[in-house]
Amino acid sequence: MSLIRHLLVIAILFGASVASAQGSSLARSDRTSTVSSVPAEVLVILAKEEAGTIDPQLAKMTALRRPPFNSFRSMKILSRPKLTLKPGKDALVSLPNGRRMKLTLLRVMPDGRYKVKAAINRPDKSDYLPLLQVVASAGDPFFVAGQTYQGGTLVVGVIVDPKKTAR
Amino acid sequence: MESAKTEDEKLQMFFDGELAPEEEAAVRRSLEGSPEGAAQLREWEQLRLAMKRVATNWAGEVDSDALFARIEDEIGDEIVPVEQPKSEPPALRVVPGGRERRVWGGVATGFAAAAAILLAVIAWPERQLDPAPVTRGSEVLEADFGSNTGTIFEVEGGAGESLAVVWIDDEEVGLP
Repeated sequence: MSLIRHLLVIAILFGASVASAQGSSLARSDRTSTVSSVPAEVLVILAKEEAGTIDPQLAKMTALRRPPFNSFRSMKILSRPKLTLKPGKDALVSLPNGRRMKLTLLRVMPDGRYKVKAAINRPDKSDYLPLLQVVASAGDPFFVAGQTYQGGTLVVGVIVDPKKTAR
Repeated sequence: MESAKTEDEKLQMFFDGELAPEEEAAVRRSLEGSPEGAAQLREWEQLRLAMKRVATNWAGEVDSDALFARIEDEIGDEIVPVEQPKSEPPALRVVPGGRERRVWGGVATGFAAAAAILLAVIAWPERQLDPAPVTRGSEVLEADFGSNTGTIFEVEGGAGESLAVVWIDDEEVGLP
């Protein structure tokens, strides 16, 4: 191989390396700093120990049939609000017991999971759940349960980026 | 100058026996007229006799006819192709600048290999840092229950992922 060909190969590989490095760093920076918004969904469920029905929409959520939820024999979806989480911006969801759930997207982790801050309180109060920080992968919920309501218990499930559940 | 040359030429031709008889006789007389010339003439005569003797002996030893016949025979022989020596591989040929070129080629190949490795190293961690299928589920990083008590559970999801459950007592809250 001639010297010119060697130099050409070097130039191509070096260019590819630089491009790949820039692409990698851009991909990381995209995740960590340039995410403009991400959709989210909140499931507000009233669960009771009394015999009843399980909402068919919850049939696929097998986690709700395992402890600590397995003592509930009926589950009903009270609301299913969809919202958009933006970094640093609070998103509010009204709960049936008068409290409000505040969700804030903090960042997207290097592994692609979302770091979310949550709080549940009455307006202008901070007496229930002042702070909760969770990391969740797209489509996988986290639950906040325990609030009493109408003889049952509220189970609030939060799903960030619900459309990516098929990964 | 020209007359000296002419004299030298005449002496040379006299020595070689190429002068006409009249000229040869005149040169001989001129030389015999002085002691130096007479001595030179005798020296030349001796040298000429010695050369003739040697030429006669050499001509007698060499069979010129046989030598000529041998040359003719060899010219008429069939031409036998001469086997050419195997050429050296190009890499071993001594070519000015070739060594330097090979060195440059090695350096270039080394750089190319290094660049390829760098490319693989840079590209590989990106795939490794994005183990999306592995990091499924959710987990609690921090929880502040305030004045309440709570429990953090992990419950298995449908795909075996671990899902976070925060359970908070609601006894101390006076609902509106």
